[in-house]
Amino acid sequence: MPVQRVSQSFKDISATFQINPLNRDLIALNNSYAIARSIRNLIMTVPGDRPFNPVLGSQVTNLLFENLDKLTALTIKSEIVNTIENFEPRVRLNEVNVKSQPDQNQFDVKIQYYIVGIDVPLQELTFALEPTR
Amino acid sequence: MPLVNFSNIDFDQIKVSIRDYLKANSNFTDYDFEGSNLSTIIDTLAYNTYISSYNANMVTNEVFIDSATLRENVVSLARNIGYVPRSRKAATATISFEVNVSEKNISTITLQPGIVATSSLLFGNQSYVFSVLEETKATVSPGGIAFFQNVPIYEGTFVKQSFTVSPRTPNQRFILTNTGIDTSLLKVIVKRDESSTVSRVFRQFDSLYQIDSKTPLYFLQEIENERYELLFGDGIFGMKLSEGALSYIETTYVVTSGELGNNISEFSFAGQLLDQNGAAITTGISVISTESASYGGSSIESVESVKKYSTQIYSAKNRAVTASDYEAIVPQIYPETESVSAYGGECLEPPAYGRVFISVKPHNGTHLSSSIKRSIANDLRRYSVAGIIPEIIDLKYLWIETDSNTYYNTNLSSGPDNVKSTVLSNVLTYSNSSQLNKFGGRFKYSKFQKVIDDSSEAVTSNITTVTMRRDLEAALGQFAEYEICFGNRFYIRNPGKPPVMDNMIIGYNIRSSGFKISGLSNTLYLGDVPNPDLKTGSLLFFKLNSPTEVVVVKKSVGTVDYIKGEVKLNATKFIQTTVNRGAPLIEISATPYSNDVIGLQDLYLQLDMNNVVVSMVDDRISSGNDNSGSNYLVKSSYVDNLIRGNPIYSS
Repeated sequence: MPVQRVSQSFKDISATFQINPLNRDLIALNNSYAIARSIRNLIMTVPGDRPFNPVLGSQVTNLLFENLDKLTALTIKSEIVNTIENFEPRVRLNEVNVKSQPDQNQFDVKIQYYIVGIDVPLQELTFALEPTR
Repeated sequence: MPLVNFSNIDFDQIKVSIRDYLKANSNFTDYDFEGSNLSTIIDTLAYNTYISSYNANMVTNEVFIDSATLRENVVSLARNIGYVPRSRKAATATISFEVNVSEKNISTITLQPGIVATSSLLFGNQSYVFSVLEETKATVSPGGIAFFQNVPIYEGTFVKQSFTVSPRTPNQRFILTNTGIDTSLLKVIVKRDESSTVSRVFRQFDSLYQIDSKTPLYFLQEIENERYELLFGDGIFGMKLSEGALSYIETTYVVTSGELGNNISEFSFAGQLLDQNGAAITTGISVISTESASYGGSSIESVESVKKYSTQIYSAKNRAVTASDYEAIVPQIYPETESVSAYGGECLEPPAYGRVFISVKPHNGTHLSSSIKRSIANDLRRYSVAGIIPEIIDLKYLWIETDSNTYYNTNLSSGPDNVKSTVLSNVLTYSNSSQLNKFGGRFKYSKFQKVIDDSSEAVTSNITTVTMRRDLEAALGQFAEYEICFGNRFYIRNPGKPPVMDNMIIGYNIRSSGFKISGLSNTLYLGDVPNPDLKTGSLLFFKLNSPTEVVVVKKSVGTVDYIKGEVKLNATKFIQTTVNRGAPLIEISATPYSNDVIGLQDLYLQLDMNNVVVSMVDDRISSGNDNSGSNYLVKSSYVDNLIRGNPIYSS
């Protein structure tokens, strides 16, 4: 018989692999932080990166090398919405904003979402996307 | 919860195992979500496990000769049991030419080893070179012409390669650098040093029999990339090479294209001729006349063959005791063997004790020459048990003929000819497959029908009748008895209710091509009358006055055993046959009791593509033209003709 999930909380490992100085254990990401990290991971994963799962991820990384204009910003937004809706079942999207910043050579991204099944306020995740090789 | 399946090579299952483990043993909960860091780590772990499992699986496969796939591993495993795979074999041709040096003072002309001729671009743009291995001398006649007669030439490039033995090189290896070498043409001589004029010829050995410390020998082993390595003696088994005494090894060999060099009959001279003073001769050379076209070229032994024969040779241990020992040894002593069958004389009727009968199908051609048969029999004596005489007998072909009415859907095809062409092409592929072309082969009726059905989506079904045929070579002008064995039971038409014609019970299960016998001018055919037991019958000769008028000319001319599939003719003097393919033949055919036909003992089963008939029939039901089937074209599943070939009426 398969093991059933016993908790509604989310707990992920931190990709920094740093040590928590208090308990000398690996740093963990909990609940909203774990989900926010998951969303960023999904957005930044290029399809084909994951072994045997060629559809996972988004084209955002590739789009960063397109013209830094509103059209690309719209395409990135569309990619982010599709990716989250397809691969992150824990959230329900409220709004996604992608703004091109040609002077800084970056796109500013703001994602607002609710966490499904948990009574917490609207979550907001903001970060900047820069083309880096 | 432990990870139990260590050899899993399915990525998803490995991933599920790791997730199950985390569910039971970890505080982390995000393993189910693809975006989580934990999921990335699980993917990495699963991928690593997958690669390890795959490698372990492949390595394990390559450890055993049954499952190994890479040639060098199969060869290496076969080497452990003393088996050296057959190398490529150069095609051999025989040529003659003459050199006119009447205006020069030349007494002897020498043809130098190396390239002697090139093919005359008969195969597209591909040209092949032919070489001679040794110097060939010809004396100039008083008329000033030197004749080079019946010079054997070998397809391929003549190569010289030398090694210097050096004790300062640890683990020195002597590797022939070229691939595609014909090892049967390899010659190894060893000298004191490069300039020495005294040399010793070293011979290839494949066992330690009759070897002492002074035997000049080398062993050969195949290494990676289809190359070969020479192994010399160590002073205990075989002469040891040492610096100063025997330190310069000179090898000559031919790098060949194998079977691609077969059937070339036109050559252009490209050799080097020297007179007795060492001066080159470039004029007066005649056109090359070909005494025999190139034949006998074959490719390197396949991996499948190595797997099969290495174990057989090992079990035979260089001794021919059982029939299968002979089958293993014959390809070793005659590399052109495509298929071989051996059986003891005690299996025959009447038994021939003390003899082993061997039939060999060569790669090129259908029969072995008398000299090759003698040579194989002599070579086999070294292996056979004292008192047992190996006898190489001629190959006996059992031909399969089929007549297929192939139903097809006209809506799915671009025309019956296209479908028919595809069907015939697939049948040809099947006829060349190893299911048939071997001793002990079996014609599998259901497989054959499937080949036709699967040829095109337009083919809906097929009705195929099978006939087996053997050719009787008539000794014209002399009385002789004949016995033809089919090795398969004959089908008797209307058992228990034979048709009555001309006040006789006649079966007509045996059909033959036409022939004439002494004393009668009419063209006759062979027929049969089953006895009441329906196991045996007697043969008769009849003539045809018209398609429906059969006249029996001579009764009880022989017997037929329907169960064993044997036809025996009493002493008959044939004077003419309607079929002649290099020899006067009477084709005798019968319908097999079972549509699956086997090649019994020395019978070599082959599908006769000249007598494979495919007729396209409109499947009116599938095509939608006749949904009720009222006008469906019905084809018989039974053979109903009386004779073979075009009938000759006697009027």
